[in-house]
Amino acid sequence: MSTNKQKIGVDVGGTFTDFSCQLSDGRRLGFKIPSTPGDPSQAVIEGVTELIENYNVDPSQIELFAHGTTVATNAVLERKGATVGLITTSGFRDVLEIGRQMRQQMYSVRLEPETPIFLAPGRRRFGVIERVGPDGEIITPLDESSVLEALTSLQIQKVSSVAVVLLFSFMNPVHEKRIREIILDNNPDILVSLSSEVDPVFREYERTVVTTFDAYIKPTVDQYLSNLSNALEDKKVGASLQIMQSRGGLAGAETARIRPVRLFLSGPAGGVMGALSEGKINNFKDLITVDIGGTSCDIALISDAKPLIRQEGVIDKYLVRVPMVDVNAIGSGGGSIAWLDKAGGLKVGPQSAGSEPGPACYGRGGVEPTVTDASLVLGLIDPEYFAGGRFNLDADKAYNIILEKIAKPLSLSVEEAALGIHKVLNAQMAEGIRFVSIKQGFDPRDFVLMGLGGGGPLHACELASELNIQKVLVPRQPGVLSAAGLLSAPIEHEVSTSFGKALKEVSLPEIIAGLEALSSEAHSLMRKEGISLKDIEISFSLDICYIGQAYHLEIIIDLESESPLEKVYRDFLKLHDRVYGHSVEGDVRIVNLRAIHRTPVFEEKGQAQLSSDRSVKESRQILCDADSGFIETNVYDRSNLTRGQEIVGPAVVDQIDTTTWIPEGWAACVLEDSMLLLERMGKE
Amino acid sequence: MGGLCIRGFNVVVRADGQRVMVQLKKDTPDAITTEVVRNKLEGIANEMQSTLFRSSFSPIVKEGLDASASLFTIGGETLAQAIALPFHLATLIPMVRKIIEEFKLDEMDDGDIYIMNDPYMGGTHLPDIALVMPVFSGGKLIAFSAAMTHHQDIGGMSPGSVPTNATEIFQEGIRIPPLKYSSKGIINDTLLKLLKLNVRLPDSFQGDLNAQIAACEIGRRRLCDLESRYGVEALKNIFADLLNRSELMTRQAIKALPDGSHSYVDYLDNDGIDLDMPIKIEVSVLVQGDSVHVDFTGTSQQVRGPFNLMPSGAYAAAYFAVHAMTDPSIPTNGGCFRPIKLILPTKSIVNPEEPAPVNARTSTMKRVAGCITSALGQFLPDRAPADAAGEMLLLAFGGDRVDGSRYVVGELIASGSGASEGMDGVDVIETDGTNCMNLPVEALEMDVPIRVHKTELSTGSGGSGKFRGGLGLIREYEILHGTVVFTHRGERHIHPARGLMGGEPGGKAYSKIKRRDGKEIVIKSKTVETLEIGDQILVQTAGGGGYGCPTERPEHLQRNDIADRKTLAR
Repeated sequence: MSTNKQKIGVDVGGTFTDFSCQLSDGRRLGFKIPSTPGDPSQAVIEGVTELIENYNVDPSQIELFAHGTTVATNAVLERKGATVGLITTSGFRDVLEIGRQMRQQMYSVRLEPETPIFLAPGRRRFGVIERVGPDGEIITPLDESSVLEALTSLQIQKVSSVAVVLLFSFMNPVHEKRIREIILDNNPDILVSLSSEVDPVFREYERTVVTTFDAYIKPTVDQYLSNLSNALEDKKVGASLQIMQSRGGLAGAETARIRPVRLFLSGPAGGVMGALSEGKINNFKDLITVDIGGTSCDIALISDAKPLIRQEGVIDKYLVRVPMVDVNAIGSGGGSIAWLDKAGGLKVGPQSAGSEPGPACYGRGGVEPTVTDASLVLGLIDPEYFAGGRFNLDADKAYNIILEKIAKPLSLSVEEAALGIHKVLNAQMAEGIRFVSIKQGFDPRDFVLMGLGGGGPLHACELASELNIQKVLVPRQPGVLSAAGLLSAPIEHEVSTSFGKALKEVSLPEIIAGLEALSSEAHSLMRKEGISLKDIEISFSLDICYIGQAYHLEIIIDLESESPLEKVYRDFLKLHDRVYGHSVEGDVRIVNLRAIHRTPVFEEKGQAQLSSDRSVKESRQILCDADSGFIETNVYDRSNLTRGQEIVGPAVVDQIDTTTWIPEGWAACVLEDSMLLLERMGKE
Repeated sequence: MGGLCIRGFNVVVRADGQRVMVQLKKDTPDAITTEVVRNKLEGIANEMQSTLFRSSFSPIVKEGLDASASLFTIGGETLAQAIALPFHLATLIPMVRKIIEEFKLDEMDDGDIYIMNDPYMGGTHLPDIALVMPVFSGGKLIAFSAAMTHHQDIGGMSPGSVPTNATEIFQEGIRIPPLKYSSKGIINDTLLKLLKLNVRLPDSFQGDLNAQIAACEIGRRRLCDLESRYGVEALKNIFADLLNRSELMTRQAIKALPDGSHSYVDYLDNDGIDLDMPIKIEVSVLVQGDSVHVDFTGTSQQVRGPFNLMPSGAYAAAYFAVHAMTDPSIPTNGGCFRPIKLILPTKSIVNPEEPAPVNARTSTMKRVAGCITSALGQFLPDRAPADAAGEMLLLAFGGDRVDGSRYVVGELIASGSGASEGMDGVDVIETDGTNCMNLPVEALEMDVPIRVHKTELSTGSGGSGKFRGGLGLIREYEILHGTVVFTHRGERHIHPARGLMGGEPGGKAYSKIKRRDGKEIVIKSKTVETLEIGDQILVQTAGGGGYGCPTERPEHLQRNDIADRKTLAR
């Protein structure tokens, strides 16, 4: 694609801030800068400066500046959000604290609270006199003096934002809106979050949690985004700031500030969108992505070129009802510590050495054997080329720590112990992946596995073998895919509302009227970002359940089809069968209506080199099977691979951000756009 | 390192640090293979469980998580179990053993499936039906794959098959002895027809049975894969090794406790029939070296109402308490259960005789688990919490909607947990062996003509102490339409949760009916009443016990307690 427009994707992580840049000559550039946790925007601006100064990027020609941020999540993890007041229907001020009464630690006798009480403890929660009924009818009119009383107490406690959550406000928001007016009349500096706007859906606890989180992070997110927008303006960046939302779509900073709670999980969503677009280029539409980092392994499913979305995600340890790309974390990664239980069983994780002190081989004081130490002993990673040679690994430290903590007590050789660590980890991760997919009603064998992060490509083939998966993909830059994903993500706005009627009792015009109201709301959000209607793909969906069921499924409604409601019903039965293993003809209910506006996904092919004779860089001794011992193995340099080139395993492909391990029985092929496709050869 | 590439050999470091070449071992299971297989077995159990939940019809499975899946050795020991509720720990064991005894290992065939539910032959209560599938690979029986589901209805005197006023098991539903549900792959149609005719929701009953078969089938298939990879003999050794490892670790954890004996006594309010007769639970826990004996001598005789608990339930409660109080990280399998023995006097509430009713046994199990935990706590004074209220208040409303349709809605409401050194108790939280969600007010009001006026923490209900007990909940309902049959099954109305180390007891539970004409009826823990339009119900669940002397609670925390409405201003 020849254009002199440039695009920049920036993903802020805990350790590194990743940049992916589409240059004007079509080249893709990726690099990492150490994050600046105090003010994350510093590293962002540093990277922009580097692009301008070292890569001749003309800031005025930047047409997209997309950003994945952890600022919303960090405000929660670090408890640095606002002092929030919570106003509820009288008699229900403790709903936030009571929650759903379930506990996560089943065998603990020293329990900890399961609800986010810290958002608004009892002294900052007030009931006001009013009551709306289940049909939106007003049972008790709002007593404004009770609002003023609550407000006086909240102001004495210096709250900077207020969440308002009244019963059945999703059926009739009039009292919530009036309370906002009263608050702003008294103090225009207070930020107000209304449950009827943040999440107009039934179940009072879930709605209270998401609305109170919204109020909690609003000032922080607001401040951060306005600072960053200003700093980019100072750098004369032409494009306006776009933020990745947890559902996998971008939104302008202005909209993001109104609905900050949608920025949870902004980063991982970028990774999944990157995987989606990389897969799509080569026509792979069903993917399982496995992103293995230092402390965890993130698993996500893409089915028919759509990421699976769940309506509720986990922040800190709390369930928050925000639609999110369904990313499942299991506690296994390169930094996972290998240890022996009291009966001498070899265990790996969930404790991790993280990045500080990190694995023993980092030489930063790590004194526990980790998966990375084992990889080094097995010869899978090159001590001199780790992270592109930015720092050297200490192979002796890795060897000795495995010797002392694992090999000696188990009477094994160090090599066998290292192999054992990998085997246990792979078994654990394979079961984790299988569980994530079968839970959704999918058979992992129908998917292509995509290895992401520093460790994904190293373990991907072994995991695929365990899962009977035949194909593995390794994208161009598996280590900075979250940033790359930002470049191809659509701009998306999603608006939904409660509905609550039996499907057989509603007419199509009634549904259409509801959807159109949502659609015009979504459209006005798009218009704010200067996107015209002709560039927008519009889709509608209904959340549906059997009458009496407590959980629902999201079904796309195609208004162009012959009888849309009949089709919705059929599709519901089909999906119910997939997810829950059965479906029967029965009465169903519409729970929510939803409109989604998005711009088309942008796809861009990179290019592989045509020829090179420098692809084999060296050979290494690698141990992959205790029976055959160490084997002399070719090591390839990823940047010198050529289009169509085939590599038969065992072989290793090194690149700056990862190492791809191709075991015996597997062969790799370099696709047109330089993506690596690894395939299992024959049987055995 | 590197360069050591002689096929079949490797370097081993001897104890003196010298490296020598040794031939690599073949076929014998080692620590690594064992751990890999353990991960797979756990994965298989989880996959079975997920299939069971996904494919079941009953809301009690979907939302109450009342179902579980396990793998068993051919000796009838648990190999791996997916646990949604701790009270399912090991409850399948007596049923699997009964089936092995009844049908003999060498007479079993590939494609057989066994079924049973009878409590007096090893079951729990009648709604819990077990299916057990022998797993054959290479022509040999290698394991059992089993699933247990709480079915929504199993017949008997009341819809839902948990009548609080039952006085004999025959009123509770249909009893199924160990039978062949499928023989060499052919379902026993006669049996299925008979069962379906005896339950109120035959379609959902069959759907749930099919979900159980699907779960067992997953277990069978994946165990066969394992066998084809490792071989029968190697697997057998690994299974034995896994059980031994868990046993060893459990014994080590028990050994870390001081030897001795501690006892604990607590009470259930009543059995729902004889309302003024409290039910005594007495346990004496003896720790001797690396084993634990729990003696129930002194515990109440079996009762007329349905609160009797089968031995399998007492065992599950004991396993939960030992696991939670020692080392919950030990992989759960039959090995963990070997060091634990119970002494259960016959005709007592924990070992009743036919035909005593048993359907409401959960309340008893919770109190038994609490007693054993508190007795074990005396061995571990620094880790032990004060008593949790352990009250799971069950409410049921049955009536008509405005359009004439019938409804039955159930509510399960939790109480406060006990405080412990360094930690206040948690308000309104599920404890010990159960873990159910409450019902959102908005979900309730959208479905039935009942209005909720209040859902609030019960200020002052947590036991005072240096660390405060968790609070109970207050909820108020009003009947908006028709006549409603109301069931209330409470606990802790008479006997509060005790404090520890000078901490005070938690507040008692309290419930009343306020008739439209202003007349009030206090509920004695259990009742079934008829309500009319305008009648109101107030329920207040119990608080957890406090820990440490209340005067030692720092001034600023006392102020916070008042500001946050945890305690009343003095």
